[in-house]
Amino acid sequence: MAETNKQVKIHVANLKKNFGDLEVLKDVSIDIHEGEVVVILGPSGSGKSTFLRCLNRLEEITGGTVIVDGYDITDKKTNINKVRENVGMVFQLFNLFNNLDVMGNMMLAPTELKKATKEEARENAMRLLKRVGLADKADAFPAQLSGGQKQRVAIARALAMNPDIMLFDEPTSALDPEMVGEVLQVMQGLAKEGMTMVVVTHEIGFAREVASRVIFMEGGYIVEQGTPDEVINHPKEPRTIDFLSKVL
Amino acid sequence: MKKALSLLMAATLALGLAACGGNSANGDANNDAANSSDASGDGKTWVIASDTVFKPFEYTDASGNFVGIDVDLVAAIAEDQGFNYEIKSLGWDAAIAACQAGQADGMIAGASITDERKESGWIFSDGYYQATQTMTVAEDSDITGFEDLSGKTVAVKTGTQGAAYAESLKDQYGFEITYFEDSPTMYQAVLGGQTVACFEDTPIMASSIKDGDLALKILEDTANEGAPYGFAIFNADNQELIDMFNAGLANIKENGKYDEIIAKYLG
Amino acid sequence: MIQIFTDYGPLLLQALGQTLLLTLLGLFFACILGLIFGIMSVLKNRVCNVISTIFVDVIRGVPMIVLAFYVYLGIPYLLKNGWGLTGFVPTALQAGTICLALNCGAYMAEIIRAGIQSVDKGQMEAARSLGLPYWKAMQRVVLPQAIRTMIPSIINQFIITLKDSSILSVIGFPELVNTAKNVVAITFDSFAVWTIVALMYLIVITLLSRFAKIMERRLNRGRD
Repeated sequence: MAETNKQVKIHVANLKKNFGDLEVLKDVSIDIHEGEVVVILGPSGSGKSTFLRCLNRLEEITGGTVIVDGYDITDKKTNINKVRENVGMVFQLFNLFNNLDVMGNMMLAPTELKKATKEEARENAMRLLKRVGLADKADAFPAQLSGGQKQRVAIARALAMNPDIMLFDEPTSALDPEMVGEVLQVMQGLAKEGMTMVVVTHEIGFAREVASRVIFMEGGYIVEQGTPDEVINHPKEPRTIDFLSKVL
Repeated sequence: MKKALSLLMAATLALGLAACGGNSANGDANNDAANSSDASGDGKTWVIASDTVFKPFEYTDASGNFVGIDVDLVAAIAEDQGFNYEIKSLGWDAAIAACQAGQADGMIAGASITDERKESGWIFSDGYYQATQTMTVAEDSDITGFEDLSGKTVAVKTGTQGAAYAESLKDQYGFEITYFEDSPTMYQAVLGGQTVACFEDTPIMASSIKDGDLALKILEDTANEGAPYGFAIFNADNQELIDMFNAGLANIKENGKYDEIIAKYLG
Repeated sequence: MIQIFTDYGPLLLQALGQTLLLTLLGLFFACILGLIFGIMSVLKNRVCNVISTIFVDVIRGVPMIVLAFYVYLGIPYLLKNGWGLTGFVPTALQAGTICLALNCGAYMAEIIRAGIQSVDKGQMEAARSLGLPYWKAMQRVVLPQAIRTMIPSIINQFIITLKDSSILSVIGFPELVNTAKNVVAITFDSFAVWTIVALMYLIVITLLSRFAKIMERRLNRGRD
């Protein structure tokens, strides 16, 4: 399953995460290699979003080890901002900066973090907007965009930092059905280019077509993992079978 | 801390030492001291309004009685002239308002007799006490007279004779004036060094320093000629009351009763 | 009234200037205090939260007239008689500025806290996920959005502070009310003097409200 000859980009060992008394992640371990597209499936409350958010420490980690891009992010001394520069994230609710136009959204981080001059950042932003098909929306404010357009801008914004890894947290769940396709298409393009991606989604079709590995999570554990064919078409665990029977 | 406590008490004591001939902040009247003379007159009871606290002219003593120079004077004069009266302790502003509205017939509240007041409708009796204004400084102050005030700031109470006195000297001696609304704050501003001196009616100042054990000293040399305090009415129909007051005042000055009262409060 | 205005207008206008000076100084420091304590109240840090809560509760729980006496007379008294420090004797302007800054600052802190909390959490998360440090994210993404929702409340608070500055007449600061009382004591014409004073406040506050409306419209242009 894993392409063992490639570099490990994300190493997770015995990850635990509690919210107060509630154990959301009980014991999660996984290695994700360069260029892999890992799709995480699971019922709501299974801990899959929390797991994703632990990978860039948007959630404080309760226990275990998470090493991303060679940095131990559970170590307090690690400069998490440096790690995050290389780990893009796309949110269910887009989270475009409402006070900035599309170009402002794209340029903020690269210029603030001195990754590029204003001109370079603008050029790069235009290139990425063309790629997601929104070059004409550079001056629009988020409130003027449709859901699908917002999410494509959000992806472009994450890409503007030139990340090694992209995390997607249910990127199509808040979209009207007719807009899901345009977002998945952009993601598929990224996968083809060899981006390391971790995707939490309910889109079984996307998992089947694009994923290099599918993970099924439930109750704070990884229950089953394998190729899309193994997990989706021939699940072994009863809980996976039960879940898939409901969503397919 | 003990010292702080004593100062706090002094401040409380002095609190409300209401405006000397000026506008007092506390207008609510809750101290209706009804001191009626037992002399039988023509049956009419004159209502006389007063301030609440203007020590030593009127104030409530430790046993809760409304006393003071003004209170005793009215009693002595009423006895001499044989009229009935009732004193209402209303507060400075309320006393004026009550007279203007006819709810009281006259007022006695250490009111200085001034031309401005006469022009705006006050009708005064003869003066019953000659009050001077003086400058007061901190006990350890280097200031000995007006010449030392140049470039400094002094405290006064809005609308008082002390304020008028300070204003008349301001340009000549080149000092600034800060206006406070009540005496305790003004004294505190001198004690704390926010201002270097204050201008106040001499008897009030002396009484406050004594009662509050304040670390202030009166510069006797700075006293002005002063103005007399008068009993006042606001309605010419009550001229009879003024006449009785004047006649009675003359009599008690003659028979020694007046000196007795002054000595009782000012030593 | 016209007579009083011709005689005392310049004096009252000068006093209005003092009122505005005091208010502006107070507001300036209130904004700084409000920002500091407002942000402290939204930080994920218990100590900061508690400090901010104490500040806001204490200041809001004490009437400004008490605060005024405390700053102008009380604290210098303690320093002098308790600790033997004679250096700290504030002028009425300094004490007044401190009072307004503290008082308005506490309310500003609450406005700013509410404003920041009204911004969707996802905005901060998105900014942080791009590698922006907390303060940068606050400054470039959260605060600009928070301020837009806060503007009406802030202007309202400014107006309240302008009016509250009259309380500082008690410590002898020659602002409009303090000076007006003096003019009343000289002229005995309460109606004319207080009418002039009321009109002066009214005009300034109306202008301020107008300005607020224009600001609000400008800030909202092209958004939403």
